[in-house]
Amino acid sequence: MIDKLWFLIPELILFAGVVVVAILGLVHSNRLRGWVPWTTGLFIVAAGISVPLVYTAEAMETSGLLVPGLAAPAGMIACIVALGLLLLSIGRVDQRYELAIAQGRAVFDPIRATGGEFHVFFLLSLAGLLLVSIANDLIWLFLALELASLPTYVMVAMSRGSIRAQEAAMKYFFLGAMSAAMFLYGFALLYGATGTLVLTEIQASFADQIARGELGILAIVGMLLALLGIGFKLAAVPMHLYAADVYEGASVHVTAFLGFVPKAAGVIAFMILLSTLGWADGAGLPAPILIMLWVVSVLTMTLGNIAALLQKSVKRMLACSSIAHSGYLLIGIIAGPGAGFNAAMLYLLIYGLGNTTSFAVLSSLQRGGVELESVEDLAGLRHKHPWSATAMAISAGSLLGFPPLLGFWGKLALFIAGIASGRLVLVLIAAINSAISAWYYLRLVGLPLMADRNERSEAVESIHAPWPRLVGLVLAGMLVVLPVILGLLYWMTDVSR
Amino acid sequence: MIDVTLQLARIVQAMPPVPASEVLHVSGQWWIGFILWCPLISLVLCGLCAACRVKSKLPAWITVFSLAISFVLTLLLAFMDTPPERVELFKWINVHWDGGSFVANFAFYIDSLTILWMSFVTGLGALIALYASEYMEPDVGRGYARFFAGISAFLFAMICLVMGDNLLMLYLGWEGVGFASYWLIGYYYQKPEAVAAAKKAFIVNRIGDLGLALAIYLIWSTFGTIQYNELITVLDAGTYLPVYENWSVQAIPYLLMLAAFGKSAQLPLYVWLPDAMEGPTPVSALIHAATMVTAGVYLIARMYPFFLLAPESLHVVAWVGGLTALLAATIGMAQYDIKRIFAYSTISQLGYMFLGLGVLTTYGAAYHVFTHAFFKAVLFLTCGAIMHGFAGQLDLRKISGLRRMKGWRIVSWTMFIGCLCLAGFPLTSGYFSKDAILAEAFVSQGPGFEVLGWMAIFTAFLTAYYTFRVWCRVCAGEVRCEPGDEHHGDDHDAGTHGGEFHPHAPRFAINIVLLLIAAGALLAAVPYFMGNEVEHVAGGWVADMVHDSTAAEGVPGHPEHPASALHGAEAHHGSILGMDPHVAMYWISACVGGLGLLLAFWLHLWRRQDADRLRSWLLSRFWTRWLPVAMENKWYVDEVYHAFIRAPLWLFGHIFYAIDRYIIDGLFVDGTARLPRLLARCFQPLQNGMLQSYAVTMAGGAVLIALLMLLMLQFFTGGAVS
Repeated sequence: MIDKLWFLIPELILFAGVVVVAILGLVHSNRLRGWVPWTTGLFIVAAGISVPLVYTAEAMETSGLLVPGLAAPAGMIACIVALGLLLLSIGRVDQRYELAIAQGRAVFDPIRATGGEFHVFFLLSLAGLLLVSIANDLIWLFLALELASLPTYVMVAMSRGSIRAQEAAMKYFFLGAMSAAMFLYGFALLYGATGTLVLTEIQASFADQIARGELGILAIVGMLLALLGIGFKLAAVPMHLYAADVYEGASVHVTAFLGFVPKAAGVIAFMILLSTLGWADGAGLPAPILIMLWVVSVLTMTLGNIAALLQKSVKRMLACSSIAHSGYLLIGIIAGPGAGFNAAMLYLLIYGLGNTTSFAVLSSLQRGGVELESVEDLAGLRHKHPWSATAMAISAGSLLGFPPLLGFWGKLALFIAGIASGRLVLVLIAAINSAISAWYYLRLVGLPLMADRNERSEAVESIHAPWPRLVGLVLAGMLVVLPVILGLLYWMTDVSR
Repeated sequence: MIDVTLQLARIVQAMPPVPASEVLHVSGQWWIGFILWCPLISLVLCGLCAACRVKSKLPAWITVFSLAISFVLTLLLAFMDTPPERVELFKWINVHWDGGSFVANFAFYIDSLTILWMSFVTGLGALIALYASEYMEPDVGRGYARFFAGISAFLFAMICLVMGDNLLMLYLGWEGVGFASYWLIGYYYQKPEAVAAAKKAFIVNRIGDLGLALAIYLIWSTFGTIQYNELITVLDAGTYLPVYENWSVQAIPYLLMLAAFGKSAQLPLYVWLPDAMEGPTPVSALIHAATMVTAGVYLIARMYPFFLLAPESLHVVAWVGGLTALLAATIGMAQYDIKRIFAYSTISQLGYMFLGLGVLTTYGAAYHVFTHAFFKAVLFLTCGAIMHGFAGQLDLRKISGLRRMKGWRIVSWTMFIGCLCLAGFPLTSGYFSKDAILAEAFVSQGPGFEVLGWMAIFTAFLTAYYTFRVWCRVCAGEVRCEPGDEHHGDDHDAGTHGGEFHPHAPRFAINIVLLLIAAGALLAAVPYFMGNEVEHVAGGWVADMVHDSTAAEGVPGHPEHPASALHGAEAHHGSILGMDPHVAMYWISACVGGLGLLLAFWLHLWRRQDADRLRSWLLSRFWTRWLPVAMENKWYVDEVYHAFIRAPLWLFGHIFYAIDRYIIDGLFVDGTARLPRLLARCFQPLQNGMLQSYAVTMAGGAVLIALLMLLMLQFFTGGAVS
């Protein structure tokens, strides 16, 4: 038990943050309340620093986890991207109410204020994500996944003024509950098939069954339901239908969060669950599961991309494209531990950075006091906000996988892993999908940088807080500079030269 | 996590290792590279000036200074009197494989031909840049830095072309000077004519460039190298090689010729040069008269051994050169725009140079390049001074009596010197260099070379006439002027007092440059009298220079001069009217030059009305009417090209455009692109925004996938699984 607690230090830091932020968010003093995001950030940084210290290689060896290597990278990726997500929400959370208080038009009322709550749920969801990566039994996995998801339902609903956010929250919640039921049922069947809840024991049992050639239908169906249910977090076909509506309905800073944290939780849960069944003793996944994943991957990337083609709303377009990115991520998962999982984690980080960049730019802009709606609102952004326009173009280029931006290397790693594991057709389909995605991503490059302003985009202005803009610029800079630095480091340390 | 990408990077970097190439005698001083780097540095600095919107003459001084350094270094190189040598600046392309290699280093090949060319390229470059510092004054702060950046870029490319150690560097310079020429012709990019002229020059040159590229491919695939020293070693060995039977050996000279005719404005590709006069006049003087257009002559002289492998190709060169010289001279006679007249005269003189190459006197061609560079530069620069002072006026009917105007004496008399040289007046530089070519046309034996020789003599007569037509009209006679319509800058408006026009005379920079280059034009005759150090060679210093280079076989008196080698010793000397050609030519050419000069003085100075009377007399006769009309309209060559080349190409272009637009783009590309959107419309009904529908679809999808999986299970296990 003690060693378990030692393992939970990053999560415990986040939970401590929850308590502090919850109290701080209800303080009357405007100045103290202004500290809420920074306090949240402080705890995220602390958790992020503790991750590599706690999840050291030696500690993981004796941890008894099924995929011991996951915890450290997952935790660091989560904390890095979460910092970006946090910064882009500054000035967005509870925007009108805080503005009214600052201008003296309203008095602070703890019942109406949601700033503290948002950050509490932010930290809780993040803690859930970290917990997923160190799950060692099915119950833990279920609880961790739900801890990552449940706060997001509330975060969507938190925009009380917006009727569309309410609708989105309702849809998200009900469908999320359905998916939870589905994968919990799957977990139950897995328990039935193996008689244990501990993941390492499940793996041993499956290995035994496979060796004896009697892997039961119960196990297959259980795994299928579990995967499809968790596919909801990834927004994988057929559980993707909510994504477009929910991402569009939610506030822009929440959408950015939805695009990363639940998806990361889903990807990590996929890796853990699939490790129970596959890749033991050098074998691959069982054929039916492999084919199912293959089909889901192809459908997810294709449907996500073609749906994005039709969108006029920026958020909806990015939502659909995030579905497609789940499809790409599945390539890495199909490719298996080693290169495949590495590539998937790398892609998760790179996608997270690109996604955060584009949403940071969106978050830094407004038109008549509300968020940008249509893609056309970005037309001619360079005239007033040249840096934001550049950042938007860079992030779209990176998400598209345009060399030499970071996204290109992520996609390259995924494709190489896919080819190395013999999934050439899948990689070809993904490459065609990348080409399709150029159609809508290049609009995000062309409209801000090359188009002329129309009467809608004339009225676009930046929001009061500088942080979203700043984080967009910094991340865009990273998307450009990181590959160069990595290349230089590689070149510097190349012994074979 | 990034080890996958690192793996890939490792694969990319795992190129075959480059073996240390065997470097042939690389020698030379470290400073030689600066001949090339100086213009490059100047280009960068001028670019910076343009970016910072410098509002002073700084770019001009940067350019003049750096070109002067290049010139001084070139002189140093010339006085070092080294044998042919290579100087390697850095390794550029070194690919080796089993049984072959492709090596093109950034290196210089320095022999006396290089030095001859470099001496006037850098020298005139520096002087003309100095001239331009005053000429381009109205543009200070606007296009001034851009102009000098262009001049520096041109010099950089030209030095690459001349000094390069291999054909790839020559090609780099070849394209570079073409680009710089495009850049500078289109300098006044607000003028549609300038833009059209720039495009025309570039496109017509591309035809020639194609020939050069193909020639380089063929040379490499035939001889396995494109480095001069290796090629020369192969070709100079004098032994028979089996590759000489290849068709490519016959094809290479013709391809090189095409390239040379494009760059040096010969038939049939000369049409770009007259239009190129739309550029600023210093550009016309430097690029389109003195240096770049002689690149074709340089190319053939440098590659002379290849032409000797296919001697018929030299006959073609001679005929093309002779015909171009005559054609351009007849057009030049009938033009009214001074700059155009000199442009046609440039084409005509280039024709002489090619005639010289064709009749086996590389020495004559090189000497004519050298003298022509000076006297033609002087003529263009005086044109520029007139244009500058008279608000763009270039019509020789509108200006008269320049030499009696205040402040224009230097311009008129330097122009007079230039005209004398161009006309081949006895004892001027043009006289000696032209004679060297003309005499050799009678000496060398070839198909119709004697006809060609008489044709060239007639052309010399025409040259003397049209040259002094310009001088007599513009510089002599009664004082009269009409300004042009270009009023660039305030200084011209200040010169217009109450509607009366006062030309503003050139100032110090222009005058000093005119004097220096005119002196150079006169002094260019001196090398003819310098003694020969090389045995059996006549013709002075230039002949010595050419004798030490790749074009050595084209120097009369060279032991391997093909005139003797091919036709036997007794055939070596032809004759004109029973006299030794070299002696006869002194008299003949002096006579025709003098006749042309007198004709010009008669028609255009002493009795100007006779010129008009002659023209109307010609026009009134049915049989002669066509002559002045066709000459004034440049023999309708542009129109013929338009009808037979441009129009069909235009038609083809539009047909292919339609095919591309409607079938390739419309049907295939757009059709493919529409497919995903069509597919998306099929799935759109699922995304109807209704919660219940979403839940049903999700559950249905899950069921479908479960069914699929069960089917798979059946398929894979044959139903054996319980």
